[in-house]
Amino acid sequence: MNEQTPVRRRRTVSANQIAAERMNDEKTQGQYQPYKDAAWGFINHWYPALFSEELPEQKVEGIQIAGVPILLRRAAGKLYAIKDQCVHRGVRLSSKPMCFNDTSIACWYHGFNYDLETGMLNNIVANPDSTLIGKTGVTTYPVQEVAGMIFVFVREDDFPLEDVPPLHHDLPVRFPENNERFPHPLWPDTPSLLDEGAVAMGMHRTGQSNWRIACENGFDNAHILVHKDNTIVHALDWVLPLGILPASDDAITLIEDEDGPKGQMQWLFTDRWKPVLENEALGLKVENLKGRFYRTSVVLPGVLMVENWPEEHCVQYEWYVPITDDMYEYWEVLVRVCKTDEDRKKFKYRFDTVYVPLCLEGFNDCDLYAREAMEEFYADGTGWDDEQLVETDISPVVWRKLASRWNRGIAKPGKGVTNATKTGSIRMRRLAEGKAPGYFVEKIENVNKR
Amino acid sequence: MLTSAEVSEVTLTFADGAEHVLAVEAGQNVLDAGLAAGLPLLHQCRSGSCSSCLARLTSGHAEHRAGASSSLTPSEKAEGLRLLCMTEAQGGCSFSLGYDSKVGETKPVVAQSFVNAVERVAADVVRLELELAEGSWMTFRPGQFINVTVPGTDVVRSYSMATTPADLPRIELFIRLLPGGVMSDWLENRAAVDDVVTIEGPFGAFFLKDKVKAPHVMIAGGTGLAPMLSMIDTIRATPGKKPPVLLSFGCQTPEGLFALDRLELRGHWLPGLETRLSVDRGTCESARTGNPVAAITADDALPPDAVAYLCGPPGMIAAARAHLEALGLSSENIFAEHFTASGA
Repeated sequence: MNEQTPVRRRRTVSANQIAAERMNDEKTQGQYQPYKDAAWGFINHWYPALFSEELPEQKVEGIQIAGVPILLRRAAGKLYAIKDQCVHRGVRLSSKPMCFNDTSIACWYHGFNYDLETGMLNNIVANPDSTLIGKTGVTTYPVQEVAGMIFVFVREDDFPLEDVPPLHHDLPVRFPENNERFPHPLWPDTPSLLDEGAVAMGMHRTGQSNWRIACENGFDNAHILVHKDNTIVHALDWVLPLGILPASDDAITLIEDEDGPKGQMQWLFTDRWKPVLENEALGLKVENLKGRFYRTSVVLPGVLMVENWPEEHCVQYEWYVPITDDMYEYWEVLVRVCKTDEDRKKFKYRFDTVYVPLCLEGFNDCDLYAREAMEEFYADGTGWDDEQLVETDISPVVWRKLASRWNRGIAKPGKGVTNATKTGSIRMRRLAEGKAPGYFVEKIENVNKR
Repeated sequence: MLTSAEVSEVTLTFADGAEHVLAVEAGQNVLDAGLAAGLPLLHQCRSGSCSSCLARLTSGHAEHRAGASSSLTPSEKAEGLRLLCMTEAQGGCSFSLGYDSKVGETKPVVAQSFVNAVERVAADVVRLELELAEGSWMTFRPGQFINVTVPGTDVVRSYSMATTPADLPRIELFIRLLPGGVMSDWLENRAAVDDVVTIEGPFGAFFLKDKVKAPHVMIAGGTGLAPMLSMIDTIRATPGKKPPVLLSFGCQTPEGLFALDRLELRGHWLPGLETRLSVDRGTCESARTGNPVAAITADDALPPDAVAYLCGPPGMIAAARAHLEALGLSSENIFAEHFTASGA
């Protein structure tokens, strides 16, 4: 180095960077520092990608999870998921699907053709003898379809396929096998997505907040205040407390089985939690009559289970699938075991006429806007330091620590992917056209149709 | 059996003089042959466009594959430049490469840094946090060390990074204070935030081997903990199933132990990490009395393919090596870095 050159401190870069480790209070907040760093989500986990009916035979869809663009295709009855970013110049294949057979997909721009099973570049439309063929490719993602849902294992490019855990490691605990450990005298055994005859019905939509803010809402037992005025609560005369306070050291049990999910179970409607039904000073009292017992648990990578909800024999699952650092795909899924077609029809009818309008929309819409109301406080990262927590926040804090311990990787900020650059002109144009940023790829319309 | 007409002898000379002779078959390009032979040839597109695999023909005949186009201009070709991914040898020929044969390895560089923090963390240990200056950069493998020039002197001391490459431009060192030591004098009496420090590195063949899934044993004496912290944080961030890690950290006295809060955090974040603390003398709640080598026993049932990393004074390394071999570890799976206290 030239001796005349002055040595200068680097300018600090803040955009799209993982928060610097806070040395000054590492002890108090450090236990969940990895969680704070996970603005773009946890990677190397199973996430729901689409409902089965969203991907009929021959359909190609493009989505984004934890900053990873993913293409899904169903061809000749088989499901595939590969990285939705051509190795050549980064084009998203799914924005204008071009498939010449059932085992590959071509990039519609320069014709790089990929094997769907291996991700390998196996041809180039106008350059079939290229020496590049067979030497590069895109990452593939394991896919599994259960009960009407398609799950994808979203992995880092170098996460070994042989290390991919089974799907049930990233799904809530099951019953009756957990009856002894987590008894539930007030309701029948909770169904599971993995049960024989299980049917999942639900919806998914994009929420404009960080996935962690969204995830922490569902099992926060003080949040139920936002549901105080919901139609279903009063139409069915449910006793929904103003809040539920932890009343014992063992209000939460950690789930850390070797061969199973990692998460936490909250012992609601036992003596370990105290429902608050009245606040005299403020003149508030819950006067409804019908007990509405339920229990919440959460497992990695952020899957909420509300048992005995919204009715007996039914369970509500929720996912808050990270898309970017400021968007998540909100999945609300009701699961019920339907042994016959008749059962299935009944479930479908009740889903359409009651659950969608009154529960998944009416009731849970309040959660969606409540999360968005928190987003700005946390958006620049300072909210995690400035928040003033209170007794009921043991639920999110236990979750943060647990998630810090058991996540399989922290997603890196999305690079070269949709909505990673907040000020890009394409994003601006889409906004001007009235299209909110979201989960699905923007498909290119037929050029000949104007 | 290929005849000599079908195989050409191709010599590749790297910028550092390293020379490799390849047998390139007819119809095969030189890049493919070189990569198959394990040579560190730069390349990217493998189809004649990106120019990463540029080389200069110094003798013999070798042309781009007939009919293939490339991004080289006719004048560049006339000068003897070739793209190895497109080049077929016509008989014996030689190429020179514009980069050296250690291109894949990190070469030591001199860098400037600023002091971010100087903090006494134990009776005789100081934590020094540096941040690379604007325009300075270096990278390293977890476990390697740098040379630090003590500001205001021309004395150089070596320390292992406790941080990982992902933490750059921040670098953290744990430095043992020695009575009358030049570095110790600077740290205790003069070092201040925003001081400029010249460093050089990385150095050392002691670094974490990639993607080993067998159990890891780490034995650290005193500030020998630093490279272990770097390795543990790297393991934590590596995709895939993580190996179990058994860390045995020892100091002479309880007052000498440091970074315990950090180890506790790692224990929380990495379920497969177990830490054992030892002190030679004195007693403390969290540590056993004895040396960190003896803390690993036959009860740990280490499998024969377990790998071990040792860092500490030479006596400890020798004892640890013998002890681990007696426990069934294979000597080629034991990696060690020993340090000696420098004189004043």
